[in-house]
Amino acid sequence: MPKPNHHVFADGELSRNEGTLRIDTLAGETEYLPVESIDSLYLHGQIDFNTRALGLLNDHGVPAHVFGWKDYYKGSYLPKRGQVSGNTVVEQVRAYDDDRRLSIAQRIIQASIHNMRSNLRYYDGRRGNFSEAIADLADEKDQVAAVDTINEVRAVEGNARKTYYRCFDRILRDPFELTKRQYNPPTNEANAIVSFLNGMTYTTCVSAIRKTALDPTVGFVHEPGERRFTLSLDIADIFKPILADRLVFRLVNRQQITVDDFESELDGCLLTESGRMTVLEEFEKLLDETVAHPRLERNVSYKTLVRTDVLSLKKHILTGEEYHATERWW
Amino acid sequence: MSTSVAEYVAAEREPAREPKTRITGLMVQYYHVCRRELWFMSRDIDIDRETTNIQRGTHVDETSYQGSRKSFQIDGRIQLDVLESGDIMEVKVSSAMEKPARMQLLFYLWYLREVHDIEKDGVLAYPTERRREQVELNTETTAQIEATVEGILDTVGAETPPALEKKSYCDSCLYQDICWM
Repeated sequence: MPKPNHHVFADGELSRNEGTLRIDTLAGETEYLPVESIDSLYLHGQIDFNTRALGLLNDHGVPAHVFGWKDYYKGSYLPKRGQVSGNTVVEQVRAYDDDRRLSIAQRIIQASIHNMRSNLRYYDGRRGNFSEAIADLADEKDQVAAVDTINEVRAVEGNARKTYYRCFDRILRDPFELTKRQYNPPTNEANAIVSFLNGMTYTTCVSAIRKTALDPTVGFVHEPGERRFTLSLDIADIFKPILADRLVFRLVNRQQITVDDFESELDGCLLTESGRMTVLEEFEKLLDETVAHPRLERNVSYKTLVRTDVLSLKKHILTGEEYHATERWW
Repeated sequence: MSTSVAEYVAAEREPAREPKTRITGLMVQYYHVCRRELWFMSRDIDIDRETTNIQRGTHVDETSYQGSRKSFQIDGRIQLDVLESGDIMEVKVSSAMEKPARMQLLFYLWYLREVHDIEKDGVLAYPTERRREQVELNTETTAQIEATVEGILDTVGAETPPALEKKSYCDSCLYQDICWM
């Protein structure tokens, strides 16, 4: 059973108190947080912390993901590696450098397209007729297998995403609309909530990769030059339809999130603090939901699925055994 | 003794030379439990360290027979417990995996004899079951250990891991997720 994440929204100070974490909020409240019982720490407020607090996180292998003003993702403090393996990193870079890169990238994007298509199938007939887009995505998934360069893989993926996002407008209850994905900053409510949950999916992948000896900067679909951990971006592509998009649809259509949960700034639109709390609460619940896994023959949580996907990739890199990128089967 | 085993012993006897494969007691155990597990472990493939089984084993080892044994490290790779009587002791949580545990202890005895010319007998102890078993090297057990050492060298030297195979104890294995994913 994976451990839960912990989110801190308050402004204040994070410190070490003997063997545990202590949070003193500006509002004068003090809370103790047993460090050994959390998977990752998310800091959403303005938090002061020192090296002693980081040392404690380090000892327990807990990553801290830091969000800044209006919950823009700032970065992560990652604990010193628990798993160090030169052998793994050498093989990972080798796989990046030879024709394994293309086949891994194809697997990742095929899974990503499969998971987008699976979302459309779920809403087909419920919120509109998506049969055309569903057929296009099936084509695009086949095309991925047929191309010979990473650039072509990315081009097909771009087309698939366009096909997919065009359907969002019809899936989402009015007045939410998403005709085009826009970020930095998001221009409307739908873009804002998709961006926020994509960010959460990304940090979930960062945490999962950190638990292995894989190097998060060496990805297979994305170029290593990008500013973020490219391997996390790769794995996040598989899980965005599962962890982010499906949740966006649910929150909006059940009216758990309404336009009142957003505020428009000068040139963009962002979730309010209470909106973010609602979204995160549901995101954490989703991570703990379980499905019966056919190969592991047990129920696994969505959070565990991210971890086992990374393990499967790692095994593929080290042994040549098949990489099972997670394609929704349930 | 086969050529590969003889080469291994020769390499271990020469302090300046480093054998390609360092065999540990844990590897001997894994060889008799699951060769695929042994291969994964030899390639630094990580296990789920949050599991309680490891903690339980460590706890039983650390709290049993504290006064009557002394710990020794040999060559920086083998950790031995020596009883006051001079016997080598290995402590296990349960006798469920009896053969792997016995082979681990026999490997220590064999290593001491072949590499360091020290002859010892062993005691396998299950404190939670209040049970002990005497273990010694004879013609038969020596042959078993040498076959084990040869098998370990073969398994670890292979390019790819042994094929996937469902075993009754897969469910409690620390490599379960990586193995089946």
